[in-house]
Amino acid sequence: MRLAADTGGTFTDLVVERGQGVQLYKSATTPADPASGIINAIALAAQDAQTTVQALLAETDVFIHGTTRAINAILTGTTARTALICTRGHPDMLLLREGGRTQPFNWSYGYPDPYIPRALTFEVAERIGSQGEIVQALDRPAAIEVIEQLAAAQVESVAVCLLWSIANPAHELALGELLERHLPGVPYTLSHALNPTLREYRRASCAAIDASLKPLMNAYLEGLEARLRGAGFAGRLLMVTSSGGVVDASDMAAAPIHSINSGPAMAPVAGRHYAALDGDCENAVVADTGGTSYDVALVRRGRIPVTRETWLGLEYEGHITGFPAVDVRSVGAGGGSIAWMDAGGLLHVGPQSAAADPGPVCYGRGGVLPTVTDASVVLGYIDPEYFLGGMMRLDAAGSAEAIQQRIAGPLGLDLHEAAAAIMAVATERMIQSIEEITVNQGVDPRTAVLVGGGGAAGLNAVAIGRRLGSPRVVIPQAGAVLSARGALMSDLLSEYASAFFSGSDGFDHARADQLLSELRTRCLRFASRAGTSAPPQIEYIAEARYRHQVWQLDVPLRNGELGSPEALQHLIEDFHAVHEEVYAVRDERAVIEVVNLRARVRCPLGEPVADTVALAPASHAATTREVYFSGTGALDAAVHRLEETPPGTTITGPAIIESSFTTVVLHPGASAERSSSGSIVIIPELAEAGVPSCPARSPDVVS
Amino acid sequence: MADRRSTTEMSNGTEPRERDVVALAVMINRMEGVVRKMTNTLFRTARSTVLNTARDFSCCVVSANHELLAMGESLPIHVISGPDLISRWLTELHHDLRRGDAFLHNSPYHGNSHAGDHCIVVPVIDEQGVHRATALVKAHMADIGNSEPTTLTATARDVYEEGALIFPCVKIQEGYRDIGDVIRMCETRIRVPEDWYGDYLGMIGAARVGEREMLRIGEEVGWDAFERYVADWLDYSEERIRATIRTLPAGRRTGYDIHDAVPLRGVENGVQLQATVTVDPSAGVIEIDLRDNPDCLPCGINLTQSTSQTGALIGVFNSIDHTLPRNTGSARAINILLRENCCMGIPVHPASCSMATSGLSERLAGIVQRTLAEFQDGIGMASTGPECPPATAGLSGRDPRNGNARFVDMMILGNSGGAGHPHGDGWLTNGETSDGGSMMRDSTEVLELLRPIRVWSDRIVPDTEGAGRFRGAPSLYVEYGPVETELEVLYAADGTVNPALGTRGGESGALVRPFMRKADGEIVALQAWTRVVLEPGETIVSISSGGGGYGPPVERDPDHVRRDVLEGWISEQRASAVYGVVLASDGSIDLEATAARRAALAEGDDGSAATRLEDSVMRLLEPGVRLWPTRGPTA
Repeated sequence: MRLAADTGGTFTDLVVERGQGVQLYKSATTPADPASGIINAIALAAQDAQTTVQALLAETDVFIHGTTRAINAILTGTTARTALICTRGHPDMLLLREGGRTQPFNWSYGYPDPYIPRALTFEVAERIGSQGEIVQALDRPAAIEVIEQLAAAQVESVAVCLLWSIANPAHELALGELLERHLPGVPYTLSHALNPTLREYRRASCAAIDASLKPLMNAYLEGLEARLRGAGFAGRLLMVTSSGGVVDASDMAAAPIHSINSGPAMAPVAGRHYAALDGDCENAVVADTGGTSYDVALVRRGRIPVTRETWLGLEYEGHITGFPAVDVRSVGAGGGSIAWMDAGGLLHVGPQSAAADPGPVCYGRGGVLPTVTDASVVLGYIDPEYFLGGMMRLDAAGSAEAIQQRIAGPLGLDLHEAAAAIMAVATERMIQSIEEITVNQGVDPRTAVLVGGGGAAGLNAVAIGRRLGSPRVVIPQAGAVLSARGALMSDLLSEYASAFFSGSDGFDHARADQLLSELRTRCLRFASRAGTSAPPQIEYIAEARYRHQVWQLDVPLRNGELGSPEALQHLIEDFHAVHEEVYAVRDERAVIEVVNLRARVRCPLGEPVADTVALAPASHAATTREVYFSGTGALDAAVHRLEETPPGTTITGPAIIESSFTTVVLHPGASAERSSSGSIVIIPELAEAGVPSCPARSPDVVS
Repeated sequence: MADRRSTTEMSNGTEPRERDVVALAVMINRMEGVVRKMTNTLFRTARSTVLNTARDFSCCVVSANHELLAMGESLPIHVISGPDLISRWLTELHHDLRRGDAFLHNSPYHGNSHAGDHCIVVPVIDEQGVHRATALVKAHMADIGNSEPTTLTATARDVYEEGALIFPCVKIQEGYRDIGDVIRMCETRIRVPEDWYGDYLGMIGAARVGEREMLRIGEEVGWDAFERYVADWLDYSEERIRATIRTLPAGRRTGYDIHDAVPLRGVENGVQLQATVTVDPSAGVIEIDLRDNPDCLPCGINLTQSTSQTGALIGVFNSIDHTLPRNTGSARAINILLRENCCMGIPVHPASCSMATSGLSERLAGIVQRTLAEFQDGIGMASTGPECPPATAGLSGRDPRNGNARFVDMMILGNSGGAGHPHGDGWLTNGETSDGGSMMRDSTEVLELLRPIRVWSDRIVPDTEGAGRFRGAPSLYVEYGPVETELEVLYAADGTVNPALGTRGGESGALVRPFMRKADGEIVALQAWTRVVLEPGETIVSISSGGGGYGPPVERDPDHVRRDVLEGWISEQRASAVYGVVLASDGSIDLEATAARRAALAEGDDGSAATRLEDSVMRLLEPGVRLWPTRGPTA
């Protein structure tokens, strides 16, 4: 049995894959102690299976977890107080970065701060040269003095980045030892160990971000693992990485930078699956509406784009993370986003969020600021008696009062108009973020299916689909837990690298083979406990370039070896071919240099286990309720329970389709059909003539 | 979708036509995507650090009617004007363009920026043989076979002394194959021909990627539809900029600056420069008159037609709504008046324009943006620091690690500080006004990997900013030298005499200061325009210029001054003397003392000379001096 849990700002989602069935659960996130939220969700699953948490966890082979904890700490400025130790003469690496700007005439803001302030940056006398030679030995007494200053400055974590530590790590290692001795208990990151890449800024930035996350992520992961083990879990705890792979929890604790974008990384995997299955389209905009943020990703011709260089914030101006990541954009707009008025009387929604605690006003947990969820209650979108399947009664009067007082009154609107305005502003922000990943990248959103994930997706999915001109909107049955669902659909993936430098004019075959064999061992070790039956697939890659180039291309090794002259000859041919394919030219005269060797292990899961479409007999007569739509005002909308709607059923708006996890609002003029996989497939309105169409999936690209 | 379309009168008076705004935005962004792919190709494949790390190159797409369509992340000085002129020359000089052709172009007399920028120009030809667009790659080469191993020579009296090989749209590929004659000419003249050829291949690759992608667009949308998109895009851009100009105050002002002297007869006293800016809101037009400037000068700093136009346009684009598209459409609303045989105009052969992308074009953009700032608080900008300190020198020598192979390259570290502007402080890595900070900077490790040099230091210099309500960026200190070899260093630095000027009461930035540290540790000052050969153990110390400030320093937010002190950007003394902000011993702002000090400054107690570059620089020249913070780190 496998479990996947995704902890968001508001809800903790759990997906249980047992035998041939997949079940979904949702529980409130408990920010002070996130492990409780996970255990609460597991308790729901146990109850459902008429067993205990202990017994359920004992049966669990693999537990996959994604969390927004790291990124939230960065966004809210609550990472550890971190210092940087660097080579003397180069204290401004994090400030100067690599230069560059994308908008040369945009002078609407000043120069961005470094990730670690200059006041917490410390130089040590030492210097290593480009060949790894020691130009100036590390001044140990001076280094100890620096470490004493760190203690005085009450530093909670330390990043170390020295020039050329990738060629010779001796001085970084020595500083590591000195830190252990003179600053015990304070975690640190050595740049060469985290990301042995050329270019000092990249290593420094990586090390700084990683170190700043260590105290909080270590505490979190230790706590979570202890809680799960204590509750009977004896399987393998895997953490989702930013690039959509997984690593063992202990590896994540050693390098928490990999968890930065782990929260939303898996949603596109599930989104792609449903777009192909229910939307018959290989382009998809996958949008995950959380309580706090709206995360969007583009699936283009069946592929999920991974950015090679990821930045926190703007490219060149933010902070480079140095590792690849699934390309997901986030805006602060979700169910918990707060509606507020600025001094000029303009209505805004977000980015502030009521999050899980206190939550929207209607949760009755002390929240007083109206949110998107409150607006949905006022508009009749959400039934206050049937939220989370009736597990939580909502305070509709509280929602109405908050919107009346804080928004409707000041704007001079009636209550429903004000609530509709809140929805409209939130919708607009979401549309802008989708346009950023489509229009701004030259993709017409009218050629993509919109896949709505997250419990609040259905509230305005039709409105968004209409504005974008989406041909279809798909709300999967598992949409409310899209990321966790994706985690159980993606193959287990991990990657390892070894530094290796050799030119084709004097190739070191023996060393290359030795390193490849070490990489193979690490991959097999990872695969041995993956809990999958199919044999692991291991891909070996040489990063190579022409001599005097400084950026590498990935060239897969045909047989995973470089021991023979024939293997080198194959690599050379393949490099020329890849270079010509990517860059339109080849240089047969130039020497080829191999700079790194990597191995990627994939443990395939086989066909994804289908969602269980559980149907209940109709328990009550068809009902209607009054729902307010902007433009038409209040209308009687038919209310359908999802679990009482068999596949093949067609529903036309105005209507509401609701389940324990989600509510889908069908505007007048929209129609929906329940697909055989359980999804709700909506046609927002009749397509305009002459609009570009959505490319149907072709079997070879949907994997 | 009805609300997302707009109907507008075309500026050429044709029938109103409905624009599909979404489809247009998709098309424009798709072309930007083409340019990004071109850029990525050259960046990832080039052999010189000036291209593969500093990214001193540009890619763009020009219409068959010579209109700039998309420029991606290109450097403004390379493309805002230039590719349009080159496209015109291409069709004038070659009447039979065929698919598979490529042209090498660098002529300063035929629309190029300066000879040091090699262009690869590829006409995009459709199935019927019709020229539909042009893909253009322009790269600042490490070497072009000049008389000295640098592409930036201020002290050449004419193009003959500069020694540049000039290629006015010379065909270098036919049927997608190199024309060997031209390649051999380059290889027998340009130093380190294998690196040149590697860079050339990268440029060809980038241009061919652009050609391939443009052909794909043409096939998908049809060339006629493509041309309608182009017309809509340029009209839309023109409407946008005219609407912005209509909000500006009317008037006419003349701004001035001085370029440093060059040690040649005729320029030994510096060059007085001016620009007259007329804003006519009713017509939605800005006019910039550059005709009252000196004739072409007997040295290498003359501007080309493209850099005269672009320098002025950059000054305008820096000053007003940054969201305006930058293309031929928006340039229609800006009239730039040039004359022939003028150092800021249209050069006449054999005037040398070796430095046309830096020196005078920097001064020109600065004049325009400072003059616009005088029209109204909230627009315009101060001057960015003058350019080309020794941290941007041409480097050459032999690499003992690589069989004493010859190398020529150009480093890009520690260039000028950015100017203060109405909304924030100067951009630290601005480098030059002419690229708006979009050029990258070298990595110490990449430089040391590729060349036998060592970068000993790369850091900011406190107290060198042009003070202001929003201050200029400070100078950068870079120290480097050869490793077990000799290193020839060539640079041509403006700004050792005339600093970057502030505006609206903002102060000037610090001057450029070149030094050499001898093997025994002695520091000697170097000249502004020179060639130095360093022995092992010797280093260059380069201090770049600081940017000018915007608005009076006493109007600076005291919290920003405090942060500058705590973070080591300025000293506590300077905070008090120049900004009138006094800090208490715990690092908080002493409100009372600050009020008193600001009142005194308002009455004319000018302490700005008190703490300046000299102290700051001299402290830096001592090895191992800890520069900051002046007090301990605070929680």
